[in-house]
Amino acid sequence: METMKIHDVTANDLPWKIRYDASRCTLCGSCTAACSFRAIAPKVERRRLVWSESEYPEPKSRYSAVPVIRQVKSIRNYCRGCGICEKVCPNDAIGPVRNLDTRHPIVTRCLAGDSIKRGGRKNLEATTRTLDKLRIGRISQMTDPSLDAQRHTFDMLAPFGRILPPGKLPFKVGADGRLQKDGQAPPVQWIYPVIIGDMSIGALSWRMWEGVAMATAYLNEQCGLPVRMCSGEGGVPVRLLKSRFLKYMILQIASGHFGWNRIVKAMPEMIEDPAGVLIKIGQGAKPGDGGLLQAQKVAAHIQAIRGVPKADLLSPPNHQGLYSIEESVQKMFLSFNAAFKFRVPVAIKVAASATSVSVFNNLVRDPYNIVGGFFLDGIDGGTGAAHEVSLDHTGHPIVSKLRDCYLAATTQGRQGQIPLWAAGGLGKTGDLAADAFKMICLGANGVFTGKLILQMAGCVGNDMGRCNACNTGLCPAGITTQEAALAHRLDPEKVAQNIVNYFLAMDQELKKLMAPIGNSSLPVGRSDALVSTDKAVAERLQIQYVC
Amino acid sequence: MPAQISAFNDNQQRVSTQQLLQQIYAALEAGETEFEVLSSGHHNIGGPLWTQNGEPLRFRVKNPGQRVGSFGLDGTEIVVEGSAPADAGWLNAGATLTILGDGGDTTAHCAAAGRIYVAGRVGTRSGSLMKHDPAYEPPQFWVLKNTGSFSFEFMGGGIAVVCGVDCEGFDSVLGDRSCMGMVGGTIYVRGPVRGLSDEVWLLDLDEADREFLLAGLPVYLDKIDRPELFEELSDLGQWHKILAKTYEERSRVQHLTMREFRLREWVPEGIFGDVVTDDYEHVAGLVNAGADRLKIPHWQDKRYAAPCESSCPTSIPTQERIKLLRQGKVQEALELVLRYSPFPASVCGEVCPNLCMDACTRQYIDKPVAMKELGRLSRDAAAPLPAPESGKKVAVVGGGPGGLSTAWQLRLRGHAVSVYEADKEVGGKLRQVIPTERLPAEVLDNEIARIKNLGVAVHAGTKVDQELFAKLRAEHDAVVIASGAHSPVVIPFPGHERLVKGIDFLKAINAGERPPVGERVVVLGAGNAGMDTCLGAYAMGAKKVTAIDIQRPAAYQKEIAHVEALGGEILWPFFTDRIDEKGVHGKDGRLIEADTVIIAIGERPDLSYVPREWLSIKGMMEVDDCRQVTRAPGVFAIGDTIRPGLLTHAIGHGLEAAEFIDTYLRGEPLVAKKKPEIVPQECLSKELFRPQNRGRFCVIDAKSETNRCLSCGTCRDCSMCLEACPEGAIRRVEMDNGRFEYVSDDHVCIGCGICAGICPCGVWSMEQAV
Repeated sequence: METMKIHDVTANDLPWKIRYDASRCTLCGSCTAACSFRAIAPKVERRRLVWSESEYPEPKSRYSAVPVIRQVKSIRNYCRGCGICEKVCPNDAIGPVRNLDTRHPIVTRCLAGDSIKRGGRKNLEATTRTLDKLRIGRISQMTDPSLDAQRHTFDMLAPFGRILPPGKLPFKVGADGRLQKDGQAPPVQWIYPVIIGDMSIGALSWRMWEGVAMATAYLNEQCGLPVRMCSGEGGVPVRLLKSRFLKYMILQIASGHFGWNRIVKAMPEMIEDPAGVLIKIGQGAKPGDGGLLQAQKVAAHIQAIRGVPKADLLSPPNHQGLYSIEESVQKMFLSFNAAFKFRVPVAIKVAASATSVSVFNNLVRDPYNIVGGFFLDGIDGGTGAAHEVSLDHTGHPIVSKLRDCYLAATTQGRQGQIPLWAAGGLGKTGDLAADAFKMICLGANGVFTGKLILQMAGCVGNDMGRCNACNTGLCPAGITTQEAALAHRLDPEKVAQNIVNYFLAMDQELKKLMAPIGNSSLPVGRSDALVSTDKAVAERLQIQYVC
Repeated sequence: MPAQISAFNDNQQRVSTQQLLQQIYAALEAGETEFEVLSSGHHNIGGPLWTQNGEPLRFRVKNPGQRVGSFGLDGTEIVVEGSAPADAGWLNAGATLTILGDGGDTTAHCAAAGRIYVAGRVGTRSGSLMKHDPAYEPPQFWVLKNTGSFSFEFMGGGIAVVCGVDCEGFDSVLGDRSCMGMVGGTIYVRGPVRGLSDEVWLLDLDEADREFLLAGLPVYLDKIDRPELFEELSDLGQWHKILAKTYEERSRVQHLTMREFRLREWVPEGIFGDVVTDDYEHVAGLVNAGADRLKIPHWQDKRYAAPCESSCPTSIPTQERIKLLRQGKVQEALELVLRYSPFPASVCGEVCPNLCMDACTRQYIDKPVAMKELGRLSRDAAAPLPAPESGKKVAVVGGGPGGLSTAWQLRLRGHAVSVYEADKEVGGKLRQVIPTERLPAEVLDNEIARIKNLGVAVHAGTKVDQELFAKLRAEHDAVVIASGAHSPVVIPFPGHERLVKGIDFLKAINAGERPPVGERVVVLGAGNAGMDTCLGAYAMGAKKVTAIDIQRPAAYQKEIAHVEALGGEILWPFFTDRIDEKGVHGKDGRLIEADTVIIAIGERPDLSYVPREWLSIKGMMEVDDCRQVTRAPGVFAIGDTIRPGLLTHAIGHGLEAAEFIDTYLRGEPLVAKKKPEIVPQECLSKELFRPQNRGRFCVIDAKSETNRCLSCGTCRDCSMCLEACPEGAIRRVEMDNGRFEYVSDDHVCIGCGICAGICPCGVWSMEQAV
């Protein structure tokens, strides 16, 4: 007799169970053909019936063997709940069901002897987000002129670059009594207050990455929204570097320094400067941890652009050549300012943490005028791959940390000199305009977003453990994969169109929020516009408590 | 004489708006229809007022406040002598309002009827929200000079005329961002326009427009008393018309489509075009045929070995033999076995422990396929025809199962073979030590005759020594060392000289010598040879036989069961201390009483006839993976001379050695063979086989066993895949050689894996393309 043993993996150990109704199934094979996780498979099932119809026991039996679809019971190929089977089933015969009794966190560790890795966001908290406890409570009515979102011109621009206070601007009064330029001012790009966050060409499929880049260009050239996209660490396609679209791109350098060889080599042929450079020190989703591109995603073109063989690509948690904040300013900022002859602004991205304000305070001094922005990335941000323990248990929420940094700058009278950009789960509920607006009122100059972009493109995952398999390279939507057959599922034009449409909608919504508080430019630091029904939040953020 | 309405009372104090308007109402009540109003910023002068008989009302107003002419009705005419502040003509419902100076902000705001003539400029948001009630004439709003910014916001109807007089150097006579949210109405404008909303069209005039303006201008200019401008303004070439886009025009995409953008504006061939080959026009579905499949099926007949084949030391592919039987090819099936072993009846059918059955997949359904019966089927099968003579000669030292197997295989391959056997007849241990109740002599004789009849030369009674061996080597193209192991291993316990040697004991029995045993016999060693010794002891009259071992008995369970059925006992672990006349003493002090103690813990080969340096430190032949003696090319060694094993191991070695020797004789390099991987059980859809009730299970005949065999790893040609494939992608192809194959059409197959998932034999495998 073949039987299960107690240590054999069963569906009940896994995070999702497959609901299957053999009576509805036509065995069309769509579900098993479409499942990229190999989590379901055709099998034969026995059907056996023993009965007696006589007035006395007269056994009869019937036996049949029936092909069916069965869940694969494996900790390697397990159902991620992506629901592609349900999507493709013509008869609603199959679909994933969340398994509340899952033993997956234990079984996986016991069997694999390795940490659990996944993509997505922190999945533990289901409580109301801080941002949802804030309302825009100061509505202009009779007291001051409100604006009309449709009619008014809004100055929706945020700085990327070092802003000098008026007294420090390089001007002098000339002999003729007129103002003359006296030296080079730090470069500043005035851009849309929502940057498409840093997702690398390794993390995303080429179709996805190109779709995002195309959306960025389209938003600029067709819609007039000066949206910028950050390349992510891991290189930039050379054709893009040599195109006019480079001016919409913020190039990232992180601890792995991946892809910079081709960027530097392309410099003599660049016809535009990039929009900026972003030095990534840390990431909100997995602070203290470096990038993790698992070998299954290191496709040939990634190997070429990055100059590495196929292997798990780990970026160190720290930049190898840096030992202190002061040094990082001097070395990294100086180097990347110099890389483009001080024409291109350079900013830094750090993970929100208990010490972020100290880091920011150090940068705010900036005697060399080379710190072009402080990007603060909170927990709740997404990642293509991380250790689950880092995702779920490390990090710092963005809201209070951004507020602290802003207030630290105002205390010194230096607010706005180093632009503050915030991220970390913004747009998590699907409504980025509201989140961005609130963060701006709390002191951000702008926000950046990554995971939401994936969701615009068709990501089927969510923050309740659905899919979250970006690290496997088996993304069923073709977004975070380097497998051609999966990437082909994604239409880069549709990706671009969705992003463009979302930005256009968000643009209207941002105006809808700016109008009632009477701001025609971004209400940076206008915390008087916010109220909170949560006393602790109100107190912590120094805004009005209402009830 | 018009009624005089004044902003001041007798004390020259300004009256309130309410008091001023009350003066007008009182005069109206008194029948007055003409009013001269001296205002001081009073609001709302001019409407809504009317007479019962419809007689028109006329106002001349100086210095009005906001909303002069608001709510004005048909028949009311208001002339403002000078400028008017904000909201003049607000909600005008039919009055004619003439402002002889400038209008303030939001002049004509929400006007829906009547006419408003302004002799100068108007402020911001003028004309906003103008409407046209279709039951009445549209409102008209004439401005001589320009408007402020945001003019005509949300305009829904009516006609506005902005003449652009006295606007030299202006960017726009409509200010900036005019017409935002405009959905209806017409604006005629003369002069430059900038910053218009993209919700409107800026058009040239048509004939009706020209007629309207040429008819309207004189009236307007007369109202504001500037008739001299007619000539200049009637040059209609300087005029344009603004119309709101229609609902349909608004929803039309104004930008390039993303496709157009990609093809016309974006980096040609894409930014990854140099490093990735991809056609973005192709967007795959979630289910695809062809190249975008996630899995690709392959019909891989015999890619995996069946468990029986894999576990058989002779590698007999029983599933293949059964397949031939199932196909009715009985002769081919029997011959197939003989191509692997010359002893199917003696070994497979009788003495082999049948490891094949222990591995058989069918046991998980009910009971293993009956292999013994299959083996016996070949008892009288004719030998296959040997290949043509090769002219090569091979000598085989030892006529046991290994040597005879080698000889048989070499002979089948067309080589001349001589077997040298020390005993008086070949057969080795099969003949010498296997109890005859386990192997009937006629079965063995029959099979040995078949070997001899094939043309194998047998030199019995010829013990090979160094001299003969050197001669054999010199006279043959290859030599095989297959002399087995016949030197019993003895452990020097105190009293070991009392021990009877198991192999000698068994040989004596089979030679008919009936060696004597006492009533109580202890056999040291509980392996298969030990069990044979136990059986021999019983056969020679022992009453109680005990086998002991220092470890778990190595004998197969059925051998042990055989002994136990006779009353034998197996004791382990038992560590022998000494042997004396009482029996066997254990190190723990136990005594097993015995009259006879037989040792059967194995034999060593006697290889004194080969050069010492060919031997390993254990005294065995040292061979490579091709069974060739490491230090002597052309000399091969098999069976117990290289390591102790079963009869079937020796037979298997013979087959392997013969294949290598054949290669060697053809002068080709020897390459070690890899055994095919055993089919994973999960690849086999065992559910397709209805279990027989074990409770009433019996083997009917060899033929009926053929359907019970799953045919693990070898296609049984059931066509389940062909029927189940949802896309009909699989077809069965007959080939010229009489074989067949199943083929999945890549252009149709979606890679669902149903073929592999339901195949009873595990023949379909899914290549993981992703």
